[in-house]
Amino acid sequence: MGMIQICPLVLFLSVLGVLTFTHGDTSMDSSCLQRIKSQLVDPEGVLRNWSSGIDICSWNGLTCSEDLTHVVGLNLSGSGLSGIISPEFSCLVSLQILDLSSNYLTGPIPPELGKLQNLKELYLYSNFLSGKISAELGLLKKLQVLRVGNNMLTGEITPHLGNLTDLRVLGLAFSLLNGSIPVEIGNLKSLKILNLQQNSFSGLIPGEISSCLELQVFSAAGNMLEGEIPASIGKLESLEILHLANNTLSGSIPIELGSLSNLKYLNLLGNGLNGKIPVELNQLSMLETLDLSNNKLSGKINILNSRLRNLESLVLSDNFLTGGIPSDLCVSNSNLQKVFLSLNNLSGTFPSELLNCSSLQQLDLSNNGFYGQLPSGLDNLRNLTDLVLNNNSFSGKLPSEIGNMSSLKGLYLFHNSLTGRIPVEIGKLQRLTVLYLYENQLSGSIPRELTNCSSLMEIDLFGNHFTGSIPATIGKLKHLVFLQLRQNDLSGPIPPCLGYCKKLQKLALADNRLSGSLPPTFRFLTELSVVTLYNNSFEGPLPESLFLLKNLSIINFSHNRFSGSIFPLSGSSTLIVLDLTNNSFSGGIPTRLAESKNLTRLRLGHNHLTGTIPSEFGQLIELNFLDLSFNNLTGEVIQELSNCNQLEHLLLNDNRLTGTVPSWLGRFQGLGELDLSSNDFHGTVPAELGSCSKLLKLSLHSNNLSGWIPPEIGNLTCLNVLDLQRNNLTGPIPSTVQQCKKLYELRLSENFLTGMIPSELGKLTELQVILDLSRNQLSGEIPSSLGKLMKLERLNLSFNQLQGEVPPSLGRLTSLQMLNLSNNLLQGQVPSTFSGFPLSSFVGNKDLCGAPLVSCSESVGSERKWLSDNEVAAIIVAIVFTSTVICLVLIYMMLRIWFDWRKVSVSSSDSGGLESNREEMQWFYGEDNEKKNGDYWRVNSLTSVQPQEK
Amino acid sequence: MALWALFLLLLLQPSFLLKSSMANLEGDALFALRRALKDPANVLQSWDPTLVNPCTWFHVTCDGDNRVTRLDLGNANLSGKLVPELGRLEHLQYLELYRNKLRGPIPKEIGALKSLLSLGLYHNNLSGPIPPSLSRLTNLKFLRLNGNSLTGRIPRDLTTLPNLKIIDVSNNDLCGSIPTTGSFYKFNERSFENNPRLKGPELMGSVNYEIGC
Repeated sequence: MGMIQICPLVLFLSVLGVLTFTHGDTSMDSSCLQRIKSQLVDPEGVLRNWSSGIDICSWNGLTCSEDLTHVVGLNLSGSGLSGIISPEFSCLVSLQILDLSSNYLTGPIPPELGKLQNLKELYLYSNFLSGKISAELGLLKKLQVLRVGNNMLTGEITPHLGNLTDLRVLGLAFSLLNGSIPVEIGNLKSLKILNLQQNSFSGLIPGEISSCLELQVFSAAGNMLEGEIPASIGKLESLEILHLANNTLSGSIPIELGSLSNLKYLNLLGNGLNGKIPVELNQLSMLETLDLSNNKLSGKINILNSRLRNLESLVLSDNFLTGGIPSDLCVSNSNLQKVFLSLNNLSGTFPSELLNCSSLQQLDLSNNGFYGQLPSGLDNLRNLTDLVLNNNSFSGKLPSEIGNMSSLKGLYLFHNSLTGRIPVEIGKLQRLTVLYLYENQLSGSIPRELTNCSSLMEIDLFGNHFTGSIPATIGKLKHLVFLQLRQNDLSGPIPPCLGYCKKLQKLALADNRLSGSLPPTFRFLTELSVVTLYNNSFEGPLPESLFLLKNLSIINFSHNRFSGSIFPLSGSSTLIVLDLTNNSFSGGIPTRLAESKNLTRLRLGHNHLTGTIPSEFGQLIELNFLDLSFNNLTGEVIQELSNCNQLEHLLLNDNRLTGTVPSWLGRFQGLGELDLSSNDFHGTVPAELGSCSKLLKLSLHSNNLSGWIPPEIGNLTCLNVLDLQRNNLTGPIPSTVQQCKKLYELRLSENFLTGMIPSELGKLTELQVILDLSRNQLSGEIPSSLGKLMKLERLNLSFNQLQGEVPPSLGRLTSLQMLNLSNNLLQGQVPSTFSGFPLSSFVGNKDLCGAPLVSCSESVGSERKWLSDNEVAAIIVAIVFTSTVICLVLIYMMLRIWFDWRKVSVSSSDSGGLESNREEMQWFYGEDNEKKNGDYWRVNSLTSVQPQEK
Repeated sequence: MALWALFLLLLLQPSFLLKSSMANLEGDALFALRRALKDPANVLQSWDPTLVNPCTWFHVTCDGDNRVTRLDLGNANLSGKLVPELGRLEHLQYLELYRNKLRGPIPKEIGALKSLLSLGLYHNNLSGPIPPSLSRLTNLKFLRLNGNSLTGRIPRDLTTLPNLKIIDVSNNDLCGSIPTTGSFYKFNERSFENNPRLKGPELMGSVNYEIGC
């Protein structure tokens, strides 16, 4: 269709051409150039001499024909021009070269350019041109170079470009073009360079491209091309560069690529190519760069440097390659400089053949399954700058020869199983900038010689077994930016000279056994942004000069023994995290912390802080975590804190705070944890708390709260833990609690709650840890619905005025491990399944009977037979028990005598024997015998495991 | 006796210190779980792997030594698979992931959770066998796997769990017979119901309980 419309135009143009030729001077061009100029904005004045008084052939950027009659060239590249490309360009009919590249031109490429029938070269790249590539460009029959890339051109490549049979260069890269690559591309028999990189082209690579036999460069990287790489590409014998990276190509790599005998650069990274690497690629004797990384290639590496003599870069990372490294991957006097094989499934030991590869500069074998020792001949790789072997299973010692690798800049050995010490020879590496040895099994002290590596910028020794102290000469590392020694067994103080590592930005010394106080030289670390010292034994007050460190953003000094004021840590207004949990800090909370507007985590719990919560904290609107628990804070929870509505954790428990529980807490929509327990709060539980719909844990226990439990508590449908015990709460337990379906722990004990236990509690079927309603004034019967709490492990209803019988349904609480119904007004028979609980679970009631209490024998005659059976059993048990006790006493005495005689200790196998004994008992009785040991309250899930850890 | 306890305590002390400093491993393990799960309700939003330990993550509970003891993600609209890394939470007592849409197998590594008291995976879409490794959970009291698509037989090794109080494997697709020995003698049939291919209590002395399995 398009062509048919264009035909009359062609006719018109040829007529025009004849006219111009006959006219024969540049005057027409002059007026036309003036019109072009008028549509350009020229801030640099490049077009200043484009005026009628001056000879046109001397105008900037213009080239005239030899007879000075026609303008044949216009080059305004990089002239800072903006505005549009005027349709008036069409009047420069003799123009052969038009170069408007690297300007700020906007608008479309005018279709009128199609009239420039003499145009051979058109450069419009690097502008802001938009719109489509017009079909009329297909009329430029003489065009040899068309470069319009790096614009904002959209739409598809017009198939009419296929008419440009003289085209040598087609550059359409870095635009927003889409659609498929037209098959007409095959008509461009003269094409040498085709660059379609970084667009949104989709569909297949047309096999017709194989007709472009002159093609030297084909780049279509960074598109959405799919399907297989056409095998016919192998016919492009002139091809030097084939760049198809970052598409969605699939299938295997065609073996025909091996025929591209001039290929220097082959890049297929970031596709979905599978299968094996074709061995035919070894025929590419000119190849310098081969990048097949980030595909799904499998099989062994069969790229042999012995045949690819010119190979410089071999990148096969991030595939599924298996096997070892072939012995002739790199031969002596090769050019191989970069070998990247990371993220594969390669295995085997470090290939000694690789050590012949003295040309090697970068070697990356990371994230594979290599194992064995690092060869001592590593120093043969004398040009190596980066040795990347992390995330393998290398073991053994670091060879001391590593000190001879004088070019080494980066040594990445983390996450292996290396043992032994860091060789002192490492100190010879004057160019070493990065040393990552973390997560190995290295031990010994950190050698002082390491501080001779004067170029070091990053040291990470995290997660080893280093002992001794931090080298006292560490201050020699003037370029050090990052020092991580976390999780070792380092002891002693921080050497004062660390303060001379003035470039230091991140310092992580956490999880060691370091001690002493922070040296005052810390004040020189003005670049310091992250400092983590947690889990050490640091002590003493902080140097006041720390206040000078204005770039601190993350501070974690938790779990140490620091004392004194925390004021020196409030100097930076860029703090994001401040965690001083579990120290001995005292004094007040500095109001200056409120200057750090980006503070998200503030944890000062478990210290000896006094005073009030600063009202300025209301400015910390980014605050997510506020933990001031376990201090000696006084005063009220100030109104200003209501601004901190991003809070998710608010822990103020175990202080001496007074006043009421603020109702504005209900506005904290993200609040997940609220702990105000063990303070002196009075007043009521505010009904507004029911609006904190994400609340998981609400703990207000051990205060002086009074009034009723608001029914709005039922709106907390995510709540896991509700603890209101030890207050002065009155009134009934609201039945709305049933809506807190996710409750696994509910404690309302030690209040003055009255009324019946709502039967709706039976709907809280996820209750697990405890239901504790003890020490209230609850009355009425125990609702039988509680028998539905199938997961409940502890039930305490003691010290109330509950009456009636224990509902038989409670006997179905098979998960129950602790039960306390004591000190109520209960009567009647205890469910038979409760017989395993101790007497103390039931004492102090009106008239309860049945095991473990007295039998209900006098009640119903029909039960007499069954009860007498029980009695028989009890007698037998008593006899067995007594005789066992006698036996045990005898055995004990004998053992004592024996021990006294032998004076030999009993090994832990003894306790093992007891263990198995207990096990057996359980098998016999099928019940937890712990219940029979009387002290029911101590038998809980936590203590049964914890003694082992403490 | 007290002297001995002290001696044992001293003996255990260094290894304990070492482990407490490895607390981040637990965060990593939990974060591996987060990565494997789809979480449309954003209940795992607070799980920030850059924190020192996972103890301030919602739905995670730690003990005084910052070791994870509870994971409570019941009814949280989670889908995806369980990860073997969960086996690293060696102080975990409660693993509660019930009423979600979890699929795939129960990782055998769960058997390494030597402190586990309760394994609540009921009402999910878990498939595959009950890993025999669960028999290593010597502290386990509550094993609730009901309402999944578990297959295979009930591992005999589970009968050696000394503290097991509750087992519920009902509503699955288990086969073979129900063990009756060891701790299993006290469980009634409701713990095993609605497994169409489960053939009832095993006959002592018979070795053919795997028939039809």
